[in-house]
Amino acid sequence: MKNIFVLLCLLTGSVTMAQKSEGVATYVRKEHWLKITNRLTFLSQEQKDRETQTWKNWEEDNKGIKMKLAFSPNESLYTYNSDEPEEGGYSWRKSEFYLYRNFEKDKKTDIIEMLGKTYIVDDSLHAPVWKIGNQIKEVAGYICMRADTEDPIKKQKITAWFAQDIPVSAGPERMNGLPGLILELDVNDGDVTIEAVSVAFRPLTPEDLKLPKQKGKKMTDAAYDALIKQHITDRISARQSPYGWAGIRY
Amino acid sequence: MKNLFLLAVLCLFAATLYAQSPASPTRFTLQGRAVDTTSAPLASSTVMLLNAKDSSLVNFTRTGDNGAFSFKNLKSGKYVLKISFVGFIPYNQVIQPTGDALMDLGALKLKPITRELMEVVVRTAKAPLTIKGDTIEYNASSFKVPPGSTVEDLLRKLPGVQVDQDGNIRAQGQEVKKVTVDGKSFFGNDPKAATKNLQAEAITKVQVFDDKTEQAKLTGINDGKKEKTVNLELKEEFKKGGFGKVTAGAGPASNNVSARFDGKGMYNKFDSKQQFSAILLGNNTNQQGLSFNDYQDFRGSNAFSYNDNADFGFSGANRYIYFGDDNESLTVPVGGGEGRGFSKNSAGGINYNYDTKKTKLSTSYYYNQTRIDLDALRENKRYLPGTSSLRTTDTSNQSNLNTNHRISFRFEKQLDSMQTLVVISNGRFGNGNSNLLSLQRVFLNSGNNSEVPTTNSQTLNNTAANQFAMANTVLYRLKLKKKGRNLAASGTFQTNSNDGDLLLKARNEFFQATSVNDMLRVLNQDQGTNSRSDQYKANLLYVEPFAKKYTWETFYNFSLRNDEVDRDVVNLDDSRRRVDSLSLYYKNNYLFNRLGTSLRYSFKGLNVSAGIAGQQFELDGKFARDQGQPLQSIRRTFTTVIPNFGLNYSLKNNKSLYAGYDVGVQIPSSRDLQPVTTNSNPLFVSRGNPNLLPQLNHNVSAYFNYFNPGSFTNFFANVYTTYYVNQIVYSQTVDPQTNIITTMPENLTGGRNLGTYFGFGFPLKKTKATLNLNTQLNFGHNLTRINTVLNETDNQNYSFGGQLALTPKEWIAFYANANFGITDTRYSINTAQNQIIYNNSFRGDLNLQLPGSFFVNTSLNYRVYKNERLNFNQQIPILNTSIYHILGKAKKAEVRLSAYDLLNRNIVVSQYAGQNFTSTERIQSLARYFMLSITYNMRGVQGKVRRDGFY
Repeated sequence: MKNIFVLLCLLTGSVTMAQKSEGVATYVRKEHWLKITNRLTFLSQEQKDRETQTWKNWEEDNKGIKMKLAFSPNESLYTYNSDEPEEGGYSWRKSEFYLYRNFEKDKKTDIIEMLGKTYIVDDSLHAPVWKIGNQIKEVAGYICMRADTEDPIKKQKITAWFAQDIPVSAGPERMNGLPGLILELDVNDGDVTIEAVSVAFRPLTPEDLKLPKQKGKKMTDAAYDALIKQHITDRISARQSPYGWAGIRY
Repeated sequence: MKNLFLLAVLCLFAATLYAQSPASPTRFTLQGRAVDTTSAPLASSTVMLLNAKDSSLVNFTRTGDNGAFSFKNLKSGKYVLKISFVGFIPYNQVIQPTGDALMDLGALKLKPITRELMEVVVRTAKAPLTIKGDTIEYNASSFKVPPGSTVEDLLRKLPGVQVDQDGNIRAQGQEVKKVTVDGKSFFGNDPKAATKNLQAEAITKVQVFDDKTEQAKLTGINDGKKEKTVNLELKEEFKKGGFGKVTAGAGPASNNVSARFDGKGMYNKFDSKQQFSAILLGNNTNQQGLSFNDYQDFRGSNAFSYNDNADFGFSGANRYIYFGDDNESLTVPVGGGEGRGFSKNSAGGINYNYDTKKTKLSTSYYYNQTRIDLDALRENKRYLPGTSSLRTTDTSNQSNLNTNHRISFRFEKQLDSMQTLVVISNGRFGNGNSNLLSLQRVFLNSGNNSEVPTTNSQTLNNTAANQFAMANTVLYRLKLKKKGRNLAASGTFQTNSNDGDLLLKARNEFFQATSVNDMLRVLNQDQGTNSRSDQYKANLLYVEPFAKKYTWETFYNFSLRNDEVDRDVVNLDDSRRRVDSLSLYYKNNYLFNRLGTSLRYSFKGLNVSAGIAGQQFELDGKFARDQGQPLQSIRRTFTTVIPNFGLNYSLKNNKSLYAGYDVGVQIPSSRDLQPVTTNSNPLFVSRGNPNLLPQLNHNVSAYFNYFNPGSFTNFFANVYTTYYVNQIVYSQTVDPQTNIITTMPENLTGGRNLGTYFGFGFPLKKTKATLNLNTQLNFGHNLTRINTVLNETDNQNYSFGGQLALTPKEWIAFYANANFGITDTRYSINTAQNQIIYNNSFRGDLNLQLPGSFFVNTSLNYRVYKNERLNFNQQIPILNTSIYHILGKAKKAEVRLSAYDLLNRNIVVSQYAGQNFTSTERIQSLARYFMLSITYNMRGVQGKVRRDGFY
């Protein structure tokens, strides 16, 4: 009884706060493929330099791709922002990519099209182990703190910047579990950057969190990790990039 | 909502903790209150509990309205408590449990970050703040200062820092006593020395902190005094560098060829903005152009420019219009040579690129010279209406020398965020001369299988020509306010001039001639041709995204070309008397206008477009036998409407589909339009046709592509077909007396071509063995008029290929290729001559890495050329092998011993079946030679066992 009373008090007392924990964040994801190419161990220094020197202006023109994250304290869904062509250009198909998180039930569902198949990963959240740093900066108008972790499969250094005042554990890509909403991700010192460009607070509709009906191969996190690991090993031993065109997501 | 979440999290944690282990004395509760410096509570601050060992996040919560927080049921251990709140320096405290069940930290005071720092650094400059105890550092490169500014100028911009007129620095109100660079003193201890001399661009970080005094440092006794210190961190200049490589090789004279040499040197220097490169090469091993890799190294960031084509049209595959004329490329040549004959080559060039986000500049100069000697044996069989045919054998010896100078310039400027300007200028100045000695014999077969010699011809041609060509383009792009609404405009000026001279000496004997005068024709002429062509082009493109998924594009092209040709042929045996029948002066104006529009639907990887264009081509020509004579005129106008359709669809799991229909328009070349006769080969005379219309190609094509990176499988299929309207075809007339063939272009409708290609690749064993199979089928139907009789030639090409790649171990790779090509040709005018040509090739490559940095590459290429009707059967095995050793620990040098064509069988062969003829060609070419070469590469040499292809 007392608890319900406290709850009611809290709820009524913080209507304004409530609006700051539910909404849609829009991100721009940029892959810096020259940096990724430079990490391919089977290339000679000459080949790496040739690629860098030849394509540096092309990479600079890379405007990235827009992603969106619908978030509430309990749930989140991360996917491509739109299927419409950007700026009147051609429309490129985006692979099926939906990452659903339920923080309340400690559950996730990922629908990922890759390697010629659609995979559905159903498992508990398995948040990475975060190390909290001593840096702050502004992302999309929010003061964020720095946290670091490592992808044990892809061996990537991951830096996240989470908002101090958006108390939601959600984040872009397969990252979550911080005290605030992740507004920026940096994979391997800038190989891939995912940066929020806007955060709009509004009550979510069921439509915002709806996963499309997809047929696919169901698997657990462990099986997914094993698949990724095998693919990386295979491609590297075939002297090909695991991440390039139609490969796995970096 | 937020609190619900908090509650849920707390409950969850509490629940799990309870579930795991019942309360034990080692568990404790940690609580406290976050307040500001005035002890006001900081509600909703983030409170994090970190593992003290590695700062990993153990638990987190938010403070309540009174600033209070608590972590219940914590395991005993060392923690770091971290509290953060917007606008405050994150609070850190090490938590060492006391053993008590409750640890109350009381009020924890968070210090605010100065407003200035917050506003200027974090909000405006977007620089991250790093908090290290009482030091706050930030990235100074986020602060914009004009190029060339000193650190002093930069410091003036930083919050909390003042620099007075004398250069004295004060930080947070205190005088800065010391400036260090990367932690080290800079030019003694005068702070101004560093700040006045160092370029702001070289700095990446500025740290302001209180350092112990020099005195304290020296004595080791902390006197408690602190000095304000500024430390400047220099940028890592990782983007700066230089590299180069040089290869020199030589081989002894043997096998009737002189000594061989091959040398190449290249140097590159670059930093984040500039690239400079120089290349020099020379050889007599038939390597004419730059390799693709060398080209990339030479041109750097300007090796490939997109969006540079200024001739706008339908989007997609057929964006551009083509003006079919004989311009040699203005850009640096890549590859080429195909190893024909014996060539001696030299080339060299320099390239400079300057790239910033807003300005991009690239310039280059490239010189190349090629001397080539070709000894060729050609045989040609030409089918005439009925059963007769003409067989021509040609034994020739040719020596060409060509020199070219090329310059290129490209400048791109982003005028502002909406406008871009690109200026491109490419030019070539070349001169060449060529000596050709040719001995031709013609035999007539009237269908009774017995050949009668009809003609002997001996020709000596000496040619000299100077050429100059230049193309200048200005391209302007404007993005309008509405996203996706674009306007582009361009203007181009091209000029081409050619000053050529041909000395023609020929002695032709006609055995079947009826009069003595016709039995022997001797030519001794000087043919001078001066031509000049100027072209002005203007283009507009407007793109309107009128609905979310629809784009409307409209383009307009204007082109005006002025050609002027003066050709004077004089007879050297007749005191340079003009030969009017071969001389000509003409001036042509070509006016081309095209207006087109198209509509495109784009959504979810599906792009469908349809469009239509109307174009008009107007020729206004004047010609006479000589400049002085009255000019006759040719006027022609040709108007046509061309439709366009395209479909691009990318489907699930890396499948894509394309289908398109377009109409290509080929405008007749200037030479083909003029009634001018060319007799440089006296037995094969060509003449222009002023009535020629542009050729229309109706193209329909479709392809499907599938790729699975998981299973390493790929499949590709395409179908393409072309139907020709007003195809420009060279009709032939054979003089019954002399058997001299005269060709003249004319328009014929009805030619067509249908082709298809399938490719399938899959692993036999993943990463170890891969098999690729492909087949190409092509069916052509060509028309030609021979002695006014229409001939229909049907060509059927079947080709099948297979490639096997075996890469079982790191040190061994084997590649095998087999290709079979069959061409079945049928002639309607002479069915007795129907025939089949075989072109087959088999190739094996074995690459090995031996112990001690030794590598061996061996390849055997076996080619078979067969035509039973012509009794032609040539088999050429080429065996190449090389062994190389990488020297030293640094692996920067390589010694290589190579043997080319060990079996000494090289000869370059080609065979071809055309509209009413089949021909074979054999060219004596560089055969067996050996070479010892040394390479030094500053970036290191890598032994290669496997082939490249890493995307």
